[in-house]
Amino acid sequence: MQEDVGGLGKSMAMDARKVIAGTLSEKTFLARYRRKVRKAFGVDLMPRKLGPGVARAAEKEDREGKGQKKSPRWIMVIDLAKCIGCDTCTVSCKAENRTPPGVSYNVVIEKEIGEYPNTRRQNIPRPCMQCMRPPCAQVCPVGATYKREDGITAIDYDRCIGCRYCMVACPYGARSFDFGQSYDQEMVGFNELQAPEYGVDRGPREQRETPIGNVRKCTFCLHRLGRGEEPACVETCIGDARFFGDINDPDSEVSKMVASPRAFRLKEELGTEPSVYYLL
Amino acid sequence: MRVRLLTWLGLLGTVAIAGIYAAVQRIAVGLAMTNLTSMTPWGAWVAFYIFFVGLSAGAFLLSTLVYVFGMRQFEKVGRDALLTALVSMVVALGFVLMDLGRMDRFWYPLIYWNQTSVLAWEIRFYGLYILLLATELYLSLRVDLVRRATQGGWKGRAAKWLLVGKTEYTDEHEQRDHRRLKVLGTVGIPLAIFGVHGGTGLLFGVVQSRAYWHGALFPVLFVVSALVSGTALLTAIYVIRHRAAGKPVDKSLVAALGQLMTLFLFVELGLEFFAFVVEGLSLEPSVSEVLATMMQSEFSWSFWIVQMFVGAVVPLFLVFFPKTRDTTGGITAAAVCIVLGIIGVRFNIVVPNLIVPVMEGLPWSYYAPTTIEWMSSAGLFSLGLILYTLGVLSLPIDTREISEGGTQSCKTNRPAV
Repeated sequence: MQEDVGGLGKSMAMDARKVIAGTLSEKTFLARYRRKVRKAFGVDLMPRKLGPGVARAAEKEDREGKGQKKSPRWIMVIDLAKCIGCDTCTVSCKAENRTPPGVSYNVVIEKEIGEYPNTRRQNIPRPCMQCMRPPCAQVCPVGATYKREDGITAIDYDRCIGCRYCMVACPYGARSFDFGQSYDQEMVGFNELQAPEYGVDRGPREQRETPIGNVRKCTFCLHRLGRGEEPACVETCIGDARFFGDINDPDSEVSKMVASPRAFRLKEELGTEPSVYYLL
Repeated sequence: MRVRLLTWLGLLGTVAIAGIYAAVQRIAVGLAMTNLTSMTPWGAWVAFYIFFVGLSAGAFLLSTLVYVFGMRQFEKVGRDALLTALVSMVVALGFVLMDLGRMDRFWYPLIYWNQTSVLAWEIRFYGLYILLLATELYLSLRVDLVRRATQGGWKGRAAKWLLVGKTEYTDEHEQRDHRRLKVLGTVGIPLAIFGVHGGTGLLFGVVQSRAYWHGALFPVLFVVSALVSGTALLTAIYVIRHRAAGKPVDKSLVAALGQLMTLFLFVELGLEFFAFVVEGLSLEPSVSEVLATMMQSEFSWSFWIVQMFVGAVVPLFLVFFPKTRDTTGGITAAAVCIVLGIIGVRFNIVVPNLIVPVMEGLPWSYYAPTTIEWMSSAGLFSLGLILYTLGVLSLPIDTREISEGGTQSCKTNRPAV
């Protein structure tokens, strides 16, 4: 019996390679081994459909803590000790999101502290904080700004009426109004393409068309996250000062950084619970 | 008379046409026609919007003195107050519409309702309030509409049309209408105070990120300044309109309105005093910087000259200086000054706080309205005046003269005061 099983495993592995290589169809593979597997192990090789057993098995797995995975909540960590104030994040953000003049999702607040010769420079990159309790979403009369499950504060461009109450309410100045300006004088074809913000391709940029007349802000490059890429500012940061990840994953780099005594958030006293952390 | 009226309407029409030109520019190009920026997202239009909401709420609250509290001395301005309140509200919403980035979506707030947003509630309150004002105005006019309907002419036909077939109006009808007016007015008081203008103050008061606005005093201050501006506006309108039409002016009425206006102004100045002391002693840079912007920057003329000198010093001088205090002219001039001063108050609420960066290190802003913003605002002002003038021309806004049977509109339902 033991030998049988060993032989069965070996030949299944050989045939599985053929399936992967495409020289053997999956159907033939199943037809060849289903009966043998049931005979040897008493289980069906491929459950024909999801049944009560499958759900129970999954539940058991959850109880034991295996495969238990919360959906991700994205956060950003910015190490101020590594930030050199080069504004690469700002530039790459503009390039990635093709934001028009007057709209900048990210800025670097550069401050000189103290008097010569006892001075130091402080650079604070400021994307949207993606607050967990966002004042902008609280005041929006139509609910165009809302909180996504992954922690990103999103704007429904097709619902925003452009009242700009959110801009007044944002404690971080992270929101911009799209006045309809364009770089078409400086850059050929600027209007011909827009970034697929929130995963929606809106085609060319046209007057009086969404998002012109709307309020805009950093999305953590949601359209990039969807294809497994980091936000543009994180990817391009020269000093490697920006980190991005899932705070629901205790093993993630950012989760560990957030636990550092160096970690703080901007204007924490307001209770907005930002998702952007800084390391001092 | 006729020449005067036509000149007046011609003037308003010219300004309105300039306003339409500006509005067309604004619709075609968008908010790029303004000097608004992402740092200063609200400007002249928002300031004028809260100015007109204040005028409306103030005028309405004055009308309740007549229709709810039965104060006979203000009876002559009761309908005027309702008409002014209605027109001001229409103009206020005009400013909101001008200010929307997406004008084509102006109706979205009615179908999408974010219940934590004060603005979403406000829009609904404004709607209810406008309905209430229109109903109250109609009920208050009915007694004279019936009289007019028998007189023929275009005014008679308009009255007939408004009455929808009602031809007789007995004392019983009148009593019933006065009861209705009292009920509506009573409902309207909390609506105007908490919903309409206090609510507009709440829009600013709830904004935690702007320390200068944040707090519970703001809505209160809004309501008081609404009373100031509404009373002043009605005083000015009453006198100027009667003078222009060559009708006699009721001096005791003007004196009573003047006293009320002065009282409200003192309360407002007192509240502002508290606010400025608290803000002035604040160690928080975001607060003291706003105060400095308001009082010591290139924008400070709006505070010292418009808000304080024109809006408070001059009118207080006029109502207390022996040579002017008992004259209708003096009180009217004070009223006009107060209304102009409140414009400064509204600008100083909105603009300085949005000049100071919300986060230390972000750039300071600068804002002065563009020609298009001024022109469109002037256009909406004249739209309001045109609507008001047409209202006065076509509706029996003035109560019947005493000689005409010795009755005033509220005779039958006058509570013992």
